[in-house]
Amino acid sequence: MIKFLRVLALLAALGVVSAWYLLGADRGWSKTAIPVKKTDPVTEIEYVEYDRRFVPGVDFLATGLLGSAALFALTLLLSKLQTKHTS
Amino acid sequence: MKLTHLLAITAASLTAVQAAPLTFDFKDPKGVNNVVFKLDAPLESINGTANGVSGTVTVDPENPGAATGKIVVTTASLTVPNPLMQEHLLGENWLNAKTNPEITFEIKKISDVEKDGTKGEADVTGIFTLNGVSKEITVDAKVTYLPGKLADRTGGKMEGDLLVIRSEFDINRSDYNIQPGQNTDKVAEEIEISLSIAGAAPKK
Repeated sequence: MIKFLRVLALLAALGVVSAWYLLGADRGWSKTAIPVKKTDPVTEIEYVEYDRRFVPGVDFLATGLLGSAALFALTLLLSKLQTKHTS
Repeated sequence: MKLTHLLAITAASLTAVQAAPLTFDFKDPKGVNNVVFKLDAPLESINGTANGVSGTVTVDPENPGAATGKIVVTTASLTVPNPLMQEHLLGENWLNAKTNPEITFEIKKISDVEKDGTKGEADVTGIFTLNGVSKEITVDAKVTYLPGKLADRTGGKMEGDLLVIRSEFDINRSDYNIQPGQNTDKVAEEIEISLSIAGAAPKK
């Protein structure tokens, strides 16, 4: 059980880092709309249209890694309790 | 903000063509008219846009300094890429979009008009209303008059002229009762605003 949870914590951490990296490695906040700059050909006004997609930011990375760390900490606690129980 | 200036330029450009005042409508079905705003913040600056622009500006070519008009931006059209920030921005503690549905600028005076062909620049003084607070401000506006270009924008469906106004200016959020003196470590006091809008004056 403890081993399984540790592997799960590791996989979750790797998954979070991979998702953050593969989806743009954005060092800002997570976004659900990405601005795309366009120019009107007649007036030459530059304007923005939003591309609706999710780009994870450092908040996503931090939350995911904290969750993984919490899971790992839980395994340490369980391990301690198990040792106490057997002794 | 630079409507006054645009008006002055347009008016000057039009003098030879027609003497009657022209009314430019800034409601843009294409959604190109926009306001960009930026606030510095520790992790990354908060950049957003608003495209709910409307309003009119009327310019008498023979007396551009007497131009009148009002530009309106729908508060709910303000958009930032982060959904939580968006919620906060339009919420009670920031812009309170429900109570203050519009951000407006009403032209009061145009001065220091400089004209170069169909382009021009001027200082536009007007009443800027944000978050329910109105203050008189003066902004620099660049104006481009595009005679006969409305047809190009409408695929030939409408004949008329276009007036493009661009302006960049800064305001302090405290002046408009937006979290005055609060969260200055998280969001800058200064808001950088950039306006790019085009108005149409169809020929009747």
